[in-house]
Amino acid sequence: MNRCAPFFLLLAATALSSNATAQSTCATATPLQPGLFVVPDITGPDVPSPDCSLNNQLADHGEWYVYTATQDAQVTVSTDLPINSGIDTRIQVYTGTCGNLTCVAGDDDGGAGTLSFLQFAGEQGETYYIAFDDNWDADGFTAQLLLSPLSTSTIGFTTQNISATGSVYALVDMDFDQLDDIVAVSQTNINVLYQQPGGGFSSVNYPTTPADYPASWSLAAGDIDANGHMDLLYGGGSGVTFMKANNDGTGFDEVSFPNYVFSQRSNFVDINNDGHLDAFVCHDVAPNVYFLNDGNGNLTFHQGGLGDTQWGGNYGSIWIDYDNDHDIDLFIAKCGADPVNQLHRNNGDGTFTSVGPLVGLDQNVQTWSCAWADFDLDGDMDVLVGASSGQHKLMRNDGVMGFTDVTAGSGYDTFGATNIEHAAHDFDNDGYVDVFGGGEIIMQNVGNMTFNPVSVSIYNGAVGDMNDDGFLDVLNGNFMRVNNGNTNNYLKVITHGTVSNRNGIGARVEVISALGTQIRDVKSGDGFRYMSSITAHFGLGSDSAVDQVTVFWPSGIVNVVENPPINGTLEIIESVDTDVADLVAPPSLSVHPNPADDRLVVNGSGIASGNEVRIIDLDGRVVSTRRIQDGQVDISSLAGGTYFIEVFTPGSVLKQMFMKR
Amino acid sequence: MIIPVRARTALVIITMIAGIVACRHDALEDLVPSSAPGSVNVDPSTVPYATLSEYGLFQGALASLDPHPEVLPYDVITPLFSDYAKKARFVWMPSGSRASYAGDHEVLAFPERSVLIKTFYYDHVQPGDGRKILETRLLIRANGEWVSATYVWNAEQTEAYLDMTGSNVPITWMDEQDQMRNVTYRIPAGAECFTCHKQSGVTIPIGPKPRNLDRVFNYGEGDVGQLEKWVQHGYLEPGYPASIDRVTAWDDESEDLSDRVRSYLDMNCAHCHGEQRHCDYRPMRFAWELTADPVNLGLCVEPDEQILPFDAYIVSAGNVDKSMMHYRISSTEVSERMPLLGRTLVHQEAVDMIADWILQLSPPCN
Repeated sequence: MNRCAPFFLLLAATALSSNATAQSTCATATPLQPGLFVVPDITGPDVPSPDCSLNNQLADHGEWYVYTATQDAQVTVSTDLPINSGIDTRIQVYTGTCGNLTCVAGDDDGGAGTLSFLQFAGEQGETYYIAFDDNWDADGFTAQLLLSPLSTSTIGFTTQNISATGSVYALVDMDFDQLDDIVAVSQTNINVLYQQPGGGFSSVNYPTTPADYPASWSLAAGDIDANGHMDLLYGGGSGVTFMKANNDGTGFDEVSFPNYVFSQRSNFVDINNDGHLDAFVCHDVAPNVYFLNDGNGNLTFHQGGLGDTQWGGNYGSIWIDYDNDHDIDLFIAKCGADPVNQLHRNNGDGTFTSVGPLVGLDQNVQTWSCAWADFDLDGDMDVLVGASSGQHKLMRNDGVMGFTDVTAGSGYDTFGATNIEHAAHDFDNDGYVDVFGGGEIIMQNVGNMTFNPVSVSIYNGAVGDMNDDGFLDVLNGNFMRVNNGNTNNYLKVITHGTVSNRNGIGARVEVISALGTQIRDVKSGDGFRYMSSITAHFGLGSDSAVDQVTVFWPSGIVNVVENPPINGTLEIIESVDTDVADLVAPPSLSVHPNPADDRLVVNGSGIASGNEVRIIDLDGRVVSTRRIQDGQVDISSLAGGTYFIEVFTPGSVLKQMFMKR
Repeated sequence: MIIPVRARTALVIITMIAGIVACRHDALEDLVPSSAPGSVNVDPSTVPYATLSEYGLFQGALASLDPHPEVLPYDVITPLFSDYAKKARFVWMPSGSRASYAGDHEVLAFPERSVLIKTFYYDHVQPGDGRKILETRLLIRANGEWVSATYVWNAEQTEAYLDMTGSNVPITWMDEQDQMRNVTYRIPAGAECFTCHKQSGVTIPIGPKPRNLDRVFNYGEGDVGQLEKWVQHGYLEPGYPASIDRVTAWDDESEDLSDRVRSYLDMNCAHCHGEQRHCDYRPMRFAWELTADPVNLGLCVEPDEQILPFDAYIVSAGNVDKSMMHYRISSTEVSERMPLLGRTLVHQEAVDMIADWILQLSPPCN
């Protein structure tokens, strides 16, 4: 490399800039204007603190600058310039007063190689301290401060510090006050930072007995005994511990199971649909395990039937309703020597059938978690098969036709950052669900199954609303990454189960507004490790009204709310009122066994003996016309293969795919 | 306004089909140790037995680990680190059958009924400053497959009982530097054994490859070549190559640093980071015969998962702080440490060696 050229560039930059300075402190910070500036060798005695870069390492020296924003603008601070090649820089950005600084942003290696790059939303009139430290390298370099317009298409976060004891894992409403709380856990304590109405947190520390299995791999939350206080599941390296909140919310009681489990993703979900939350834990090295609830919050251990690969490889379980039949299905992101993902369809009768190959979701991708959402607003759940190693795959749900690989041209074909976390949330409230995976990048859904990478300079983590402003925030350890928001509208829906489980986990929430119909499946446990808010969050874009919110509860009950106020939280309580005339539920049809031999059992709304049935092959030909008898259809005359079945009920035609052996 | 709607009138109470739970529960108190004096007893149709003594692998007091005359002690050049536990290794094969060489880097082809025996213990255990044997692991060749069995020793050190459920044992011991140390020693569950001892879903041994066995061992009459002794004992078919591409003793400071590191990584990491192994999807390939190419060690290779809050390489030449390998082998965080299984303490001597090795690598990665 030509070492002369950079030298001349450095001189040029110095000449262009009035910002060059001798060694400095926060109190003597050099004022900055947008442009290039030369940072001398880092020798200033004032060590930048705290470390905003998440390295959790303080340096020995710092060089200090100060920038006062003259306008609201996106501020970029960068050392990511070719002339700095080979230098290892670190940047800290603070507000506050010297000696009492608060992190706004920090970056270590966000640029090429070991150079730094960060952006934050600058507020007119605010003073920002910008410090470079010598954590890695004391050599001087050239840096740059740039302004660009804030726009609604930008997703940005501002950092605030919290002080929690333990590993910060969860952002979930622990006390049912409609506000997401911060949860940190260690082997011997649970620290809940309860979000207060009007803002801020109240920290309560609950000592616990030493957990047999600390939450090394994942944390899930749910109210298994419906006592109004959330319980926790610790996914440990050699077993599973539950921390059950007592009835007055003053503490947690440990329940640890002796069974060896190399836990990965964990979830609370009502697996057997008896109205009580059960728990599911992916097993890394053996068949998956689950814990069934007897209705009083007492759990029993089970293993087998929900992903039985002898040597495991189960990493990211997520419970969603992929076939819109209003029962909850299980998708397992798999990794290791047998990385074929699995989809277990809920047959509606307590049994599950593995249907990955049948519906085209048996990708061989090394993945630790996959992000499910209706990315194209066509009424069914699509999935980003997020690679932990190798290439991502974006799979569009085409209903009875199964899933179609639409990676090409989606943005995921050129997005190389791999990660163990992939979670789907609408970070810009535009009604199109985005995906947060690796690379400090949110893949922003811009419609048409297309995603644009937006560099956010934060890491993925638990997602929820830490300031009740309707924009989703992210927890990175003791840093709250608060969403800068925009002018878009939103609606948050809390599902308060009564017949179904208390959290309404497994419910399908549907919101209809001018931009279309949005759906969410209420869940405990997405991504790989963290516990994100259970509240169903809907961005509304510029829509100023919601026509209708519908909750399809796991119990089968359907509740509809018309024209709710927006830009707030709507709590829908599961209610049965037989005075109201029954409405036709959305058509749903389930069939089993699948594959079937001679007889196919059909279940669904409005199905009765005598209903006409058509069997259609994959070329669209009607190969058989029959009627339902005793809830069954005779398919003994069919050749082996894949077919669609159409059932004609009064008012609707129900359709489903099945295989004949 | 809430409009309740009943969509499905029937709530179906559903019960799951309970899966079969593959756990072994032994009524330990009912079992009487019954060694068969005079002969080693390995019946492929009934192994693994309930107790270690039933095999007759040792004579006299079980805890003396005095091998039956047919049973041969052996050692490997570089061992797996297991929280500083000491290990005693033995092998037994039925008379008239022997293992054959299958390649420097391949596990010997063992005959039916072979038993690989590895006992884990600590010395200077407190209180009492004595030896405490924790477990004996067997790999038994039965009906053409390897059967794994873990025997957990009782407090009296008189018997060890088959137990594949996994357990933790707190140990305090005085180490070789006279430092008092603590560990919660993990006796693995069956699924944990299988995690490392598998390839393509089939149970396999890891250690007994010629490259690990080609060393000297003192059988009581001075150091002799271990493989040669196996041949004399009738355990190994003669005619294996005179020159074997053997690993380097990781702690032999007279040896080449790079070779010591490669040897250490082979024994501690290659069982997961190899083809058809548990973590074969990561780019490293740590087997000895593959690491002459430093890319397989992760040199200047970016990890798939950046757990550090800055961009690291798996091995960043000259930069210990930005080497993911160093970070992970130095970590005791359950979800970050490497190896994931078999270690809860930091193997500081090895961490120091790998730091020294990283520091002398050049040029820098970027």
